[in-house]
Amino acid sequence: MTRIVIVLLICIAGCMLAGLAHGDVALSYAEIATVLLQPSKAAPHVQMIIYDLRMPRLLLSILVGGALAVAGVVAQAIMRNPLAEPGILGINSGAALAIMIVIVGLDNVPAHLTPWAGFLGASVMAATIYGLSWRNGASSLRIILIGIGLSSMAGAMTTTLSTFGEIMDVQRALIWLAGSVYHADWASVRTLALWLVAPLALTIVSARMLDLIQLGDPVAKGLGQRVNLVRALMIVLCTLISGAAVAAAGLIGFIGLVAPHLARRLVGPMHRRLLPVSALIGALLVLCADIVGRTVMVPAQLPAGLVVALIGAPFFGFLLWRHRHVTA
Amino acid sequence: MSQPERSGNACLNTTDLVVAYGTTRVVEQLDLSVPSGKLTAFVGPNGSGKSTILRALAGLLAPTDGTILLDGRSIDQLSTRAMAQRIGVLSQGPVAPQGLSVLDLVRQGRYPHRPLFSRWTEKDTAACDEALEQTGMTALRERRIDHLSGGQKQRAWIAMTLAQETPVLLLDEPTTFLDLAHQIDLMELAANLVRNLNKTVVAVLHDLNQAARYADHMIMLKDGRVIAAGPPEEIVTADIVRAVFQVDSMIIPDPVTQTPLCIPIPKRP
Repeated sequence: MTRIVIVLLICIAGCMLAGLAHGDVALSYAEIATVLLQPSKAAPHVQMIIYDLRMPRLLLSILVGGALAVAGVVAQAIMRNPLAEPGILGINSGAALAIMIVIVGLDNVPAHLTPWAGFLGASVMAATIYGLSWRNGASSLRIILIGIGLSSMAGAMTTTLSTFGEIMDVQRALIWLAGSVYHADWASVRTLALWLVAPLALTIVSARMLDLIQLGDPVAKGLGQRVNLVRALMIVLCTLISGAAVAAAGLIGFIGLVAPHLARRLVGPMHRRLLPVSALIGALLVLCADIVGRTVMVPAQLPAGLVVALIGAPFFGFLLWRHRHVTA
Repeated sequence: MSQPERSGNACLNTTDLVVAYGTTRVVEQLDLSVPSGKLTAFVGPNGSGKSTILRALAGLLAPTDGTILLDGRSIDQLSTRAMAQRIGVLSQGPVAPQGLSVLDLVRQGRYPHRPLFSRWTEKDTAACDEALEQTGMTALRERRIDHLSGGQKQRAWIAMTLAQETPVLLLDEPTTFLDLAHQIDLMELAANLVRNLNKTVVAVLHDLNQAARYADHMIMLKDGRVIAAGPPEEIVTADIVRAVFQVDSMIIPDPVTQTPLCIPIPKRP
């Protein structure tokens, strides 16, 4: 466990260094070292590139990746389904619809309200799905089915809006939805970090409850867990965490599905180990995706969300294929 | 956990119990009692409500009507956690998450005894070790559940409920899908829990003869009602077997244990 965490931390540090060095203007490692260690001697434009442009972007990637991964772990535990991810709770479709409404449907909404609209959309969607699945308790299967249904409805509405909307507005909304971190600044990093502190801490504290609820409702209840209460609480945490990540960076799908899977292969299904390792893997994945996205087609920048899907999906498939004999 | 010494007294009782799934009433006006410190077997045809009753006794299924008493107290008044400190339950066909080790599963059994933010204690370790020992899983403790055989898996789950250290243990079809040797192992384990640890064990069983051999007390069920209850020697009779299973049979003494042995008579020889 310790070794795995250390290796992941080294990888993240390495990626951060690479992320500071590469971009429209390539910086040497000597320049980076000067800025980090002896700021007074560094050239002002280098300082600006590192502190105002690249650093917040890297940190935002880490926060978003970690948050999505943790939300994915929680979703998979409470749904008892390896295919579950925060999107099942309608986070993505809700946020997408809200963003589309705000940018395309309404006029003159200030830009800084867009993330809040995204978060609100995600929360409303999650609450609706949970509410509709309630029938003397919300079974995970019912949540999944209703989640799929409502998500495709929201998807249809989003598409309708984008079909008839003003082309410039639609493009703006789509760029936002593609999931990226290139608009990162210190304010957004700070907001997201502060927002995530409490729900992440609560999730870590709840590791023991997640261990139990993943054994299934009858077992968990037989061992004294109030499963409906715990599942509701966990859905709230999952929504707070992934909704915030989506609000900050748009739709970066797949992390919530892949990071927990990779982490489970490394440290098994107990959440005390699974949560931190997933968070690190998620952070690393978004970090890598963003760096790849802004270096492969310079000066064009591919949004991290697209890179994750383009590279992550086949890689994940490969992993499953290689292990297909082990756990069938 | 000290258990009040009340041998002979019923420790789980139901009165006028009604259990329904949706609008289908599976159990109707059921009165039954489970004696403490004994191995009780629920026997009956498919759909007789055996498992449903067991789930209601465990508090997993809320009754539509009627009461369930545990040592004279209604279980409605007990919190989920308080129930879990008193009654351990092994559901049918539980599935462990991939990669979970036996020890990690058994440790879950301590959940009802641990306050929310407390650390793992010596007592928890001792309970898990004891549970692994009882079930013969000590050597396999680090193994992954999904790499175990059916019999070992079942033992791992029973070890989890034993780590719960409850005076009452409810087992829902513990021997289904096990081969003969593992069925015998499991029934002996259940009998030993009663004999050595003075636990009250209730098991839903399919095999009438197995039930008659190991159980101290049998409850024969049909259509959610008790047809007969008592020691196997008294209630395993050709008439009762016909009434419960619609099968003609001959009852002879088991040559090994002298318990009743039911030999079904084919309808068309």
